[in-house]
Amino acid sequence: MSNEINQLIARVALRDRAAFAALYDATSAKLYGVCLRILRDKADAEEALQEVYVRVWMNASRFVAAETSPLSWLAAIARNHAIDRIRARKPQSVDIDDAFDLADDAPGPEEAAINASEGGRIERCFDELPEDRAAAVRAAYVEGYSYHELAEQHAVPVNTMRTWLRRSLLKLRACLER
Amino acid sequence: MTDAPEHRDRDDALAAEYVLGVLPHAERVVFAMRLEHSEQLQARVAFWQAQLAPLTDEVAPVQPPARVKSGLEHRLFGEAPAKRGLWNAVGLWRGLGLVGVAASAALAVALVQMTRSPPPGPAPAYVAELTGESGQVRMLALFEPETGQLRLNRTSGTAEEARVFQLWVIADDNPPVSLGILPQDTSGSVTIPEDLGAALAGGVLAISDEPAGGSPTGQPTGEVLAVGQMAPL
Repeated sequence: MSNEINQLIARVALRDRAAFAALYDATSAKLYGVCLRILRDKADAEEALQEVYVRVWMNASRFVAAETSPLSWLAAIARNHAIDRIRARKPQSVDIDDAFDLADDAPGPEEAAINASEGGRIERCFDELPEDRAAAVRAAYVEGYSYHELAEQHAVPVNTMRTWLRRSLLKLRACLER
Repeated sequence: MTDAPEHRDRDDALAAEYVLGVLPHAERVVFAMRLEHSEQLQARVAFWQAQLAPLTDEVAPVQPPARVKSGLEHRLFGEAPAKRGLWNAVGLWRGLGLVGVAASAALAVALVQMTRSPPPGPAPAYVAELTGESGQVRMLALFEPETGQLRLNRTSGTAEEARVFQLWVIADDNPPVSLGILPQDTSGSVTIPEDLGAALAGGVLAISDEPAGGSPTGQPTGEVLAVGQMAPL
């Protein structure tokens, strides 16, 4: 599957319209799923999906090289675009405090899970975070939640949410880079 | 910008926040602007993008309505029925595939570049790494517009008996233009005609397998062995 998509992307880079149609057929359901999940509006997701494939057509040669799953790559492009759209759609007027406080208030559970879960390194590293923090990072990525939405869901002030999430991200990094 | 650990952590947290998409719109726009000018930030965004990408595995696919595809093709190719030029008709590219030419960071860099406008002014040089599915043919190409010299360094692959490697440049939607037959030597240079300079700077290079003497049609006829995008150095 990955190899097939890589081949299609390579042919799209060479301006092969048939390959572009085939790439669309093979990947659009996944990418539409990603856009829909974040934008939660069909018309908006359809528009976003079109724009994503316009970029793919224009710029395919820039990402013909993939060592990881090319579908994940395309999904990341779709996701990024959907996030751009939703943030522009609902601009938050309130600024979030950018105060940067690295010191942690409580040590996280350090016992690293020894058996790697199916999802690979990121999943394994999530296991090292408190459950609600890992859930927040995951929801931000998959659902496209903003800080304001996350703060509401966790019933904490936005600035607290940001401090939490930043600490979690730096802990994740430490684990991912190990 | 300083290299103090706290600055690095702050930038790294920002890069992660940017990739996650949690930043408010205004901050997101500001960060995107900084990102354009900082390779360090681009590397950090690349890191986070590569690490977080598997999280979308859990998102269920949803079939988009058919109108999206037809609208897309209309938008890209206009109303005229797709013209099947020689490029497509020959089915040249069937079986073509590429292996990675860059490390895991490539995704995010691609993502970043997609939203970036080309750098102002002429870049001093352009490079491409040409690779192919089998990995048998690999070549580095360096183009200096000022001198018109395209320097080639083939790191692997030699043509079969009575066959040659032919080099092509593809710019935008145009059909491939031959840059000539690659010499037997693994390294050498080709002088690029001035009118092809612009095509080369932003174009795609490709190597095809052709009969001795080169393609008889003026277009690639044999298997495409390696492809690479020229990018500013």
